[in-house]
Amino acid sequence: MSWLRISLAAFAISAALPVHAQTVTITTAGGDYGNAMKEAMWGPAAKELGYDVREETLSDGLAALKMQVTSGAITTDVIHLGSPEGAQAAAQSLLEPLDYKIIDPKSVPDGAKSDYCYPFDSYGTVMSWNTKTYGENPPKTWAEFWDVAKFSGRRALRANAQDSIEIALLSDGVAPADVYAVLSTPEGLERAIKRLEAIKPNVAVWWTSGAQSAQLLKDGEADLVVTWNGRAETVKKDGGAADYTFKGSVIGTDCLGVPKGAPNKEAAMKLIAAMTQPARVAKLTDFIAYGPVNPAAYEGGLIPEDRLKTLATAPENAGTSVFSNSEWWVKNGEAAQQAFDEMMAR
Amino acid sequence: MTVTVDPALAADARRERRFFLSLSLPALFIVGLAAILPILWIIRQSFLTTGGEYTVGNYAKVLSSGLTWSALVTTLELSLGTLAICILLGTPLALALASVRPRVANVLMAFVMLPLWTAILVRTYGWLVLLRRDGLINAALTGSGLTAEPLPLVYNFTGTLIGMVHYMLPLFLLPVYAAMRDIDQNLIRAAASMGATLGQVMRTVIMPLSAGGIFSGSIIVLIYSIGFFITPAVLGGGKVNPLSTRIERALSTFQDWGSASVLGILLLVLMALIGVMLLAARRLLAHNTVDASHA
Repeated sequence: MSWLRISLAAFAISAALPVHAQTVTITTAGGDYGNAMKEAMWGPAAKELGYDVREETLSDGLAALKMQVTSGAITTDVIHLGSPEGAQAAAQSLLEPLDYKIIDPKSVPDGAKSDYCYPFDSYGTVMSWNTKTYGENPPKTWAEFWDVAKFSGRRALRANAQDSIEIALLSDGVAPADVYAVLSTPEGLERAIKRLEAIKPNVAVWWTSGAQSAQLLKDGEADLVVTWNGRAETVKKDGGAADYTFKGSVIGTDCLGVPKGAPNKEAAMKLIAAMTQPARVAKLTDFIAYGPVNPAAYEGGLIPEDRLKTLATAPENAGTSVFSNSEWWVKNGEAAQQAFDEMMAR
Repeated sequence: MTVTVDPALAADARRERRFFLSLSLPALFIVGLAAILPILWIIRQSFLTTGGEYTVGNYAKVLSSGLTWSALVTTLELSLGTLAICILLGTPLALALASVRPRVANVLMAFVMLPLWTAILVRTYGWLVLLRRDGLINAALTGSGLTAEPLPLVYNFTGTLIGMVHYMLPLFLLPVYAAMRDIDQNLIRAAASMGATLGQVMRTVIMPLSAGGIFSGSIIVLIYSIGFFITPAVLGGGKVNPLSTRIERALSTFQDWGSASVLGILLLVLMALIGVMLLAARRLLAHNTVDASHA
């Protein structure tokens, strides 16, 4: 009967060990951004919770989320989305409601609150330029970006209506606070599209990924590039002949959601709560210049003073900015993109 | 014929035939699972709303959109452009390969096939390095004073076409080379000995005899080209938008699987049409050649 004794011993040992580690899968955008999130946010959080966190990387989170939830083969527990995509996903009921008993509701400012996708960091869509082309005298406003007579040079914009139509209106003299009111009228959208069409002959590249926009800036393929501040900052920091401004930027947030029917829902909520602790989202700025949404992360010197300048949400940077309106995009996104694509095809 | 054949032998032959047919079952099963089922699924999806109800609205929406038709035109321009360049570059190349000694031809063929062993993404980005403004080609052109300004070689139609031809040329070359290798050299000698010029030999001997290879190559080029996505997406700079990029837009920006499925079916129909047209053209041509030889 020795086998019985051995198996009993094995049972005893396994009972004494901590329960089988909880596995959680997180889907991020990968690249520098994905690594930054791993180092600063979910890596330390996983250690604290004793979770075994697996990472999947995707550049197109929403399409994958829809695929997983619709087919019922849900492999991810936490997914990283842009807030407009998060709102879209919520509208299509692809996300579980966030459990604000586990996640601290006070960590999100009222304006940014979401019941389904937790906004954790913010970025600006900014104007960047090649310092070899413009030296000390770059364009300072979107109106000047559009002024091809005064600032000749090759432009690069994102091949997407998002942020582009907001910028187009700013360049046409619309005040940041009025952008969405104007866009909500049919004439307003048409005005933005016309403005983009006007600059189209001077656009050398319509880019499709953030990494591509950084490459265009770095290589000098384009002289004026609309890109995300984290990308511009990385090119500048790596010694590229590039600079950028937060003036007139469109500020957006990224968020974390839990797919509807995720296998480890509760653990996912706990991971989101732990990985977005103020110290951790502050630490994210060590790796990439995307500033926390949680106001507490800006307290107690968690973020060094000189780095604040590089974040879209820094008070001194926020004055001329437009806050991207997720609700507007959920309602009007398809029509706006359709108009944009038709402009591109003309 | 059973009259003359021993019934036992015939039964044996039947059993054997059945056995050999059954060997293809696993492959058929996989093809069925991997090709036919998804197509059926896409057809079903094309008739569903986002909510899952049956509709023909997706077809109305896609087919009434000017974007679909301009994407269709771009798809055809890219495919036919690629095919034309492949024929112009590939046919003489195949002829050259077919006329050198087999040992030399094998070595040259290895060079032609080399790009096939490299991932398409790597190749596409490789072209970016060569073709961009401060890339190797433009640096050589401006450095040597041949052009004052860098040429716009990439992030446009030209760049996309270069990338696509680079991918398709080896695939076009294979059947054309095989057909030309099979031409009996004595026919060429006979034509020459009867006083045919090089042009006449090309027209009356080589071209008719390698037409089958050129047709197979053309079908391969067209069918691949119609579905190209990565090359236009990377080398087109957002300005070259074939149907495949419309599918991507429908899926990732709009999560509109219905419209994406309709666009996919449109691609399938386009491929079928091109296949039928090419086969018809081939039959017509073969018929004409026979007529000519009788006359």
